[in-house]
Amino acid sequence: MIRLLDLHKSYKTHLGHRTVLSGLTTEFRRGEKIGILGRNGAGKTTLLRLIAGVEGPSSGRVERHMSVSWPLGFAGAMHYSISGADNARFIARIYGKPLDWTTGFVEDFSELGEYFRLPVRTYSSGMIMRLGFALSLAVDFDCYLVDEVIAVGDSRFGERCRQALAERHARSTLLLVSHQPETVRAFCSSAAVLHDGRLTRYDDLDEAIAIYRAA
Amino acid sequence: MSGAADHIGRIRTGLRAQLRVIGALTLRELGTRFGRDNLGYLWLFVEPALLGGAIGAMHHLSGHGLPGGLHIAAFWVLGYIPYYLLRGVINRAPSAIAANQSLLYHRHISLFDIILARNLLEGAAVGGAMAAFVLFFGITAGEWPRAPEKMVIGMLLMLAFTHGVALLIAVGSVYTDVFDRVVHLFTYLALPATGAFFMVFWLPTELQKTALWVPTVHVFELIRDGQFGTQVPTHYDIGYVLAWIAGLNLLGMASLGRARRDLVI
Repeated sequence: MIRLLDLHKSYKTHLGHRTVLSGLTTEFRRGEKIGILGRNGAGKTTLLRLIAGVEGPSSGRVERHMSVSWPLGFAGAMHYSISGADNARFIARIYGKPLDWTTGFVEDFSELGEYFRLPVRTYSSGMIMRLGFALSLAVDFDCYLVDEVIAVGDSRFGERCRQALAERHARSTLLLVSHQPETVRAFCSSAAVLHDGRLTRYDDLDEAIAIYRAA
Repeated sequence: MSGAADHIGRIRTGLRAQLRVIGALTLRELGTRFGRDNLGYLWLFVEPALLGGAIGAMHHLSGHGLPGGLHIAAFWVLGYIPYYLLRGVINRAPSAIAANQSLLYHRHISLFDIILARNLLEGAAVGGAMAAFVLFFGITAGEWPRAPEKMVIGMLLMLAFTHGVALLIAVGSVYTDVFDRVVHLFTYLALPATGAFFMVFWLPTELQKTALWVPTVHVFELIRDGQFGTQVPTHYDIGYVLAWIAGLNLLGMASLGRARRDLVI
């Protein structure tokens, strides 16, 4: 379970403090597949970063009672000056996974071909995304935090991501942030809407989408 | 009772995880800095050798020796290499966080782990160069260290001291670009004061007292004591250096926690 307790986040900018999240309290249970809908700038990515622990909240708390992935998207988590294979070995080392198995798995799943042995900075954004997703599947987290970019990427890979996540259906939790209701419908069984720094949960997917569209 | 055992068990698991992380970071850093088609590590040997050679030649041409009849090239090279460590660690500190931000996506990698891994690698590389030159002067000039353990301790103290300074500079770099701009200038301007190229007993008594306020002066004196022994008088107080190390590192670690919270990735 992941529990958010009165989570606030604001940033200092040249125009003073800008509040992004103002008082989020909710919990995500094991096996739930939740889509978080929000417009551009609603704070979706910030929320994922806080849940992942990449950034700290201004106040409030995140409790993690299961292993939580890093936010899966275009950026972060890997080193650009070394190859995909070296990144796989690095991830295996820091998460205590067997080296050979991890590199083999990541090479298979990411389908990077010869690029797997080249520095990540030579990759296209789609390739970086595939590598990032393969790395996170190799670690085998209980909960995956996914930025919509993965889901809308190239459709064949999107399908494989969906399958990989579905195979873990019973035990793994999915938190997907998106501004597109269609993406949420494809991956999730319930939804929440992030609006004006607050998060509202809906058990019914259609209700959430209707409210999101109306807002 | 079992609660305490539990607690110790948790600390042990945490410590093992952190060692694993630092090991992985060091290996990765090794790959990016010295790996593959990168000949960066050659400079570790070429630069001190050029300096020692050039200054040795100048002394030879001018006909002046060093006070106490110290071996000229050995004095300059074995002073330059610990300074090289100081410069390497401090100059690289402002970019330590920016260059590795993407690693902070992994929750259990801390800023401290990242900086420590970089500095351990720097220390190991420069330590290797030091050992190579000590052997070189031993074999070619019969200039063997009188107490090699003092040189090892000196290098470790230098690493711990500069690591503390690096932590504080890295923290500063989260809030301002100033460090990135001035740190190179600072390490060059500080060179005469660090103690790399003078000995305390060369100075007039009043100046000796002033020089001994500078912690690195003690470190260089200790290293020279290890190399030249009683051939020349040396002045150092290891306790004084340790106090600096403890102060800088504690302050650095405490402020690093604050910087991590303020860091926007």
